[in-house]
Amino acid sequence: MIFKIEDVTVYFPYENIYPEQYEYMVELKRSLDAKGHCLLEMPTGTGKTIALLSLITSYRLSRPDSPIKLVYCTRTVHEMEKTLAELKLLHEYQVRHLGSQAKILAIGLSSRKNLCVNPKVLAAENRDSVDAACRKRTASWVRALSAENPNVELCDYFENYEKAAENALLPPGVYTLEDLRTFGKNRGWCPYFLARHMVQFANVIVYSYQYLLDPKVAGIISKELQKETVVVFDEAHNIDNVCIEALSVSVRRVTLEGANRNLNKIRQEIDRFKATDAGRLRAEYNRLVEGLALRGDLSGTDQWLANPALPHDILKEAVPGNIRRAEHFVHVLRRLLQYLGGRLDTDNVEKESPVSFVSSLNSQAGIEQKTLKFCYDRLQSLMLTLEITDTDDFLPIQTVCDFATLVGTYARGFSIIIEPYDERMPHIPDPILQLSCHDASLAIKPVFDRFQSVVITSGTLSPIDLYPRLLSFNPVVSRSFKMSMTRDCICPMVLTRGSDQLPVSTKFDMRSDPGVVRNYGKFLVEMVSIVPDGVVCFFVSYSYMDGIIATWNETGILKEIMQQKLVFIETQDVVETTLALDNYRRACDCGRGAVFFSVAR
Amino acid sequence: MSNQRKRLNGEREEDDEEDAEGIGEWERAYVDDRSWEALQEDESGLLRPIDNSAIYHAQYRRRLRILSAAAAGTRIQKGLIRYLYIVIDFSRAAAETDFRPSRMAIMAKHVEAFIREFFDQNPLSQIGLVSIKNGVAHTLTDLGGSPESHIQALMGKLEALGDSSLQNALELVHEHLNQVPSYGHREVLILYSALCTCDPGDIMETIQKCKKSKLRCSVIGLSAEMFICKHLCQETGGLYSVAVDEVHLKDLLLEHAPPPPAIAEFAVANLIKMGFPQRAAEGSMAICSCHKDVKIGAGYTCPRCKARVCELPTECTICGLTLVSSPHLARSYHHLFPIAPFDEVPTLSSLNDSRRKLGKCCFGCQQSLLGAGIYKAHNCLNISKDRLS
Repeated sequence: MIFKIEDVTVYFPYENIYPEQYEYMVELKRSLDAKGHCLLEMPTGTGKTIALLSLITSYRLSRPDSPIKLVYCTRTVHEMEKTLAELKLLHEYQVRHLGSQAKILAIGLSSRKNLCVNPKVLAAENRDSVDAACRKRTASWVRALSAENPNVELCDYFENYEKAAENALLPPGVYTLEDLRTFGKNRGWCPYFLARHMVQFANVIVYSYQYLLDPKVAGIISKELQKETVVVFDEAHNIDNVCIEALSVSVRRVTLEGANRNLNKIRQEIDRFKATDAGRLRAEYNRLVEGLALRGDLSGTDQWLANPALPHDILKEAVPGNIRRAEHFVHVLRRLLQYLGGRLDTDNVEKESPVSFVSSLNSQAGIEQKTLKFCYDRLQSLMLTLEITDTDDFLPIQTVCDFATLVGTYARGFSIIIEPYDERMPHIPDPILQLSCHDASLAIKPVFDRFQSVVITSGTLSPIDLYPRLLSFNPVVSRSFKMSMTRDCICPMVLTRGSDQLPVSTKFDMRSDPGVVRNYGKFLVEMVSIVPDGVVCFFVSYSYMDGIIATWNETGILKEIMQQKLVFIETQDVVETTLALDNYRRACDCGRGAVFFSVAR
Repeated sequence: MSNQRKRLNGEREEDDEEDAEGIGEWERAYVDDRSWEALQEDESGLLRPIDNSAIYHAQYRRRLRILSAAAAGTRIQKGLIRYLYIVIDFSRAAAETDFRPSRMAIMAKHVEAFIREFFDQNPLSQIGLVSIKNGVAHTLTDLGGSPESHIQALMGKLEALGDSSLQNALELVHEHLNQVPSYGHREVLILYSALCTCDPGDIMETIQKCKKSKLRCSVIGLSAEMFICKHLCQETGGLYSVAVDEVHLKDLLLEHAPPPPAIAEFAVANLIKMGFPQRAAEGSMAICSCHKDVKIGAGYTCPRCKARVCELPTECTICGLTLVSSPHLARSYHHLFPIAPFDEVPTLSSLNDSRRKLGKCCFGCQQSLLGAGIYKAHNCLNISKDRLS
């Protein structure tokens, strides 16, 4: 249907619309007009995604002279696929009604693991090894080397993509990850790099939270987005957790050991270069003296990860003298690792602020705060100079450098916690040093400042007044919507006593009480004999469900239930549960009636 | 200030205040629910709750009736010769006592009233009875036009046991109704008191079979709304309703007495041969073909085969001719040309003159007209107490 909200003609691809969807769109439009941020809560299942997409695209169509871009952030790849599917439907509808002026380019972006089409690279087990395998074939020095040495393996898709240069464009349309892979395979271009390139031209981008919130990734992917962008965070009730995790680092013994190994390897490489191509190291030293921490002409493939600190906190100064030479830097890192190893060797839980940590680091290992701030950039530069492509092997040292940079940069909002035992295995010593961020607003503040409108929406944003304080922003609109139903279909009832007036509860200490079990059983028998068609019964955990059903079987309650309705039980096996669910539905439809025992966690 | 005053009034007030804060949002809906205040006496002196939903429901039904009466200005083809099977569920759920004295007894009582009303309004039609017991469907009586035989068979066996099976009942009824001539309208009315159905096969196939044979199935439930019954009625074009109490059950049953509209593509106009027998003279002797006995006096002679039958309407046992008399046809005809709905005459005292003009007695029952509820027939000046007569 097509209708107007004030001056915007909204193209909604379905025949019917819920009243709450309409109100949602009105509020959203108001905040877009005001160029401000908003907080909207609407229950799951009321069509939030299509309301958002339809309003924002229609808003864009109604203001052709000031086009806005939509960046839609989701939590999982599955949600991304669902959003793109809805967008496809919407796009077809709009094109049918408006013609070709309604065509847009919408892409989904994910990691190399989901977009690569090169079978050799895809064969790697996890995301980091896929990244490393890709880099081994696409790093600029590898490609330069292959010009001389034909044995060096390159990625054909990437080469074709580079050859196409400006012509490597996606025609307008909505591309899911599957569509991108198919397009890439047909044209012979690499879908991942193509998608990254098309971020600047696309009208709608769908990707995960990390690409905007985590400074390590956002610095590369999202640095070219302009101000006239509407950012939507969908299912954002845990956004404060995501922000906190983006800026937190943990270091374990195994990390330190890995870092030591990495340092040894780096040392070897440095020695090798000193022997063969000393010029390269000297060039790097000169560059650092001149104050360019990173090479300015890095191609997109060489930039591996960006600085873990937020962009405006990165010092744009020359790297300090004590780490300009490669060997000195390696020494500094070794002293840091030693100090961290020493700190991990404690028996008590310790908590410290970053300031005191840095000062004790200074007094014991002689590393200054400024040196720490540049750890990350220096490591990045060193690895590029040494042309290291096995980036998945070097994750531990990178973690340590992340830690160092963050500890050096931030004095407030963080704390360092050292725990000698892991909480899951309280007797085996497995010390962990965590730099945890307390302030969720740190990571998300750049997003609020940089973009015109940020929409935070979810099915459960209660209490809604907490979010502006938590994330430190001022929303223009902050509203909660209710689901409308055609008739009264929910009756909440809390059962505190059984029919013999004994108190019943699923509290852990009351679970094995035979009176409680019997009361619940009798209650279920009564329900089953009154309610037609189906009944679903949720338990607290699988073990509880198994225990109580066994007891019911012994006391004959299960038999009484089975006389009225068929019984289906959910197990931890997916196939069995799907079968049970399917048969439950069939039993309800054909009038036999069924009970489904399930677990709600 | 008000808090202090309340505290002065005593402990109980304070407790109430605390309780009101401690309860959740959803509980507040029930806090002010003083259901004992919403009672009133009805005409027999019994206390009944003021049931708003029942009042709205009654208004809704009245609106529906008005609408259907308005639509009845157009001629709707109706099935006058109906072959109706009443299926009664005698499974163990029928022994429940939520209808006093038990669902079985109430069902039997109202079905008896229904059968009499049915033959009153549809003299040319026939009824058969089927019961479901122990998961098996039994034919209590075959299709026949005499109310007494049906009622006797029904009241004879009133016991409830076992499961209920909707599919078995439908299969049995389908078998019987397939033998009915094509000009007859095939209907099934199921009185279902169980909450589930234990079927030997796929009930969806049976429903498709019934739909193909133009069987119109309606269900009146006594326990709760079931999906399969709703599906059955939707597919075959029948009505599904669930009775809330005894009065409601009676209303729902009697709704099925007048003939339903015929399904368009299935209603084919046919010529049906019928006989109009003469009444035999008093004192004449003949062997009656229905009792196989010598009878003196009142009886009818079949015009085709001259056999003697005792009552009308019936089918002649010898030659199979449908025997009816003209009043029966007239009564059936009345459904095809319904009279226009009556207008309500306002009872304000200022309009007393017009009332006096119309007369003081109801045209139909000759009782005096006092109080509200006067309806005037649309075209003529006759007034009556009921809306439809």
